Amino acid sequence: MLSIKYTLFSVSGVSSFIIFYMGVVNFLTSADESTGMILLIFSIFVAIGTLLATVHISKIITEPIEKLAKSMSEFSKTNKRAKGYEIKTNVSEIFQLNEDFTSMEEKVEKTITVQNEYVEKLKDMDRKKIEFSSMVSHELKTPLVPILGYIQMLQKENFLGDLNDKQIDAVNEIYISTLKLQRLIGDILTTQKLDLGKLDFNKENTNVSDLLLSILKEFKPIALEKNIILEMDYDENIHILTDKDRINQVFSNLIKNAIDFVSAKTGIVTIGAKDQDDHVEFFVSDNGQGISADKQSEIFKKFYQIDTSTSRKRSGSGLGLAICKGIVEGLGGKIRVESEENVKTTFFFNIPKN
Amino acid sequence: MKKTQKEESKKMKILIVDDNEQITKMLTTFLELKGHQCTIANDGNEGLSQIKENIYDVILLDLAMPEFDGYSVIKNLEDSNTLKDHKIIVFTASTITQDELENLVKRGVTAYLLKPIDIDLLHSKLVEIADL
Ligand SMILES: Nc1ncnc2c1ncn2[C@@H]1O[C@H](COP(=O)(O)OP(=O)(O)O)[C@@H](O)[C@H]1O
Ligand SMILES: [Mg+2]
Repeated sequence: MLSIKYTLFSVSGVSSFIIFYMGVVNFLTSADESTGMILLIFSIFVAIGTLLATVHISKIITEPIEKLAKSMSEFSKTNKRAKGYEIKTNVSEIFQLNEDFTSMEEKVEKTITVQNEYVEKLKDMDRKKIEFSSMVSHELKTPLVPILGYIQMLQKENFLGDLNDKQIDAVNEIYISTLKLQRLIGDILTTQKLDLGKLDFNKENTNVSDLLLSILKEFKPIALEKNIILEMDYDENIHILTDKDRINQVFSNLIKNAIDFVSAKTGIVTIGAKDQDDHVEFFVSDNGQGISADKQSEIFKKFYQIDTSTSRKRSGSGLGLAICKGIVEGLGGKIRVESEENVKTTFFFNIPKN
Repeated sequence: MKKTQKEESKKMKILIVDDNEQITKMLTTFLELKGHQCTIANDGNEGLSQIKENIYDVILLDLAMPEFDGYSVIKNLEDSNTLKDHKIIVFTASTITQDELENLVKRGVTAYLLKPIDIDLLHSKLVEIADL
């Protein structure tokens, strides 16, 4: 690497030496001794002058440049203009360089300040959003307490007095809708906890066939009501250390969807588990309407539904699969879908055994 | 060990501490029809002074209340070394984790219930406590 200082010094050193050398040669070859002497002294002065001039030039050029370079490298580390690097110069090029650098620094500093302000604002908005939604879900849940309490009392024979058949029906309808509302609020809360990484898992030793049987038992009545087949297909004797309530939650979201998307009478929904070395592959498959290839990655997103028309036959929030994905990944597994339109759909999810 | 499921518990003096009037009213309706005697406190402070002045068989305590909440009530009783003298059932709308709830039980709270409160579950907890 060349440095200005050394280049200047070597150039001026060489030229002073040449002048001095010519003076000496002149002196030795000169006929007139006094003229030779004068020329020699003159050449010595010129040589010294050149060297002194070089020192001066080097000082006025390299010093500010070195300062500027230090200031720049400091700036690149801290993004702030350091004190003690003020540059005074009469060299117009360096002056211009310094001016440009200063204005660039100011701009960078300003941009960074603005950027930091935005980041803070976004963080604040995020906090507010989280606070707001946890407040909302709490506020939504509170009125459910007396509603469900009174419904339970009304459903008890002779507790709040006798109801006639129509009143009993009405209470039951209110109960069903209230449960849906409760589930929806629960889903919103779960999604929010997943977003915050606050969903807690309680892993325990679980027998997979027992787990599947209890899920089957829970959904049999719903399947029967819609006149579809709900069946099981699993490897015997699988044991897994996992959160069985959360696995149950994943299954129930997938089964509810499957039941919704098959046709009554011809519909078949199969749930099961395959033993695969260090993990278990669970699945829910159906012979319903299927999901086109371009939608298959979309459906796991929050609030995403393929059919959002108000005329659609089913209700839902689009949170089910997002929750499934969050839970499965939280348990260290993966979820995926395979589907053929109007033929079949299978959701697979792998869960590590421990 | 098997316990025979008892339908009726003995009549108890119950303190309900909750800031929501609809909830306290619903609980009172239920519990009085079950033959219990209820007292209501609308916030933690009132609840605490009731606990200190009177004797209750069971205290139903909401954890989330403005300002002086259920935790503060528990902390206060703990500080005066009297938490274990009371039978406390806390309820919560699940903004806290299972672990935290278990921890409360370890500290001396008798039981917890998640909101929305299942009144049949509440009843069976009361039967359990009456049997102790
Ligand atoms: N078994 C399935 N067959 C066809 N489409 C499905 C199936 N499961 C999910 N989907 C599609 O994925 C979307 C998102 O599902 P989900 O997250 O459970 O929300 P929701 O059930 O509330 O609509 C559904 O609206 C539906 O369009
Ligand atoms: Mg769904």
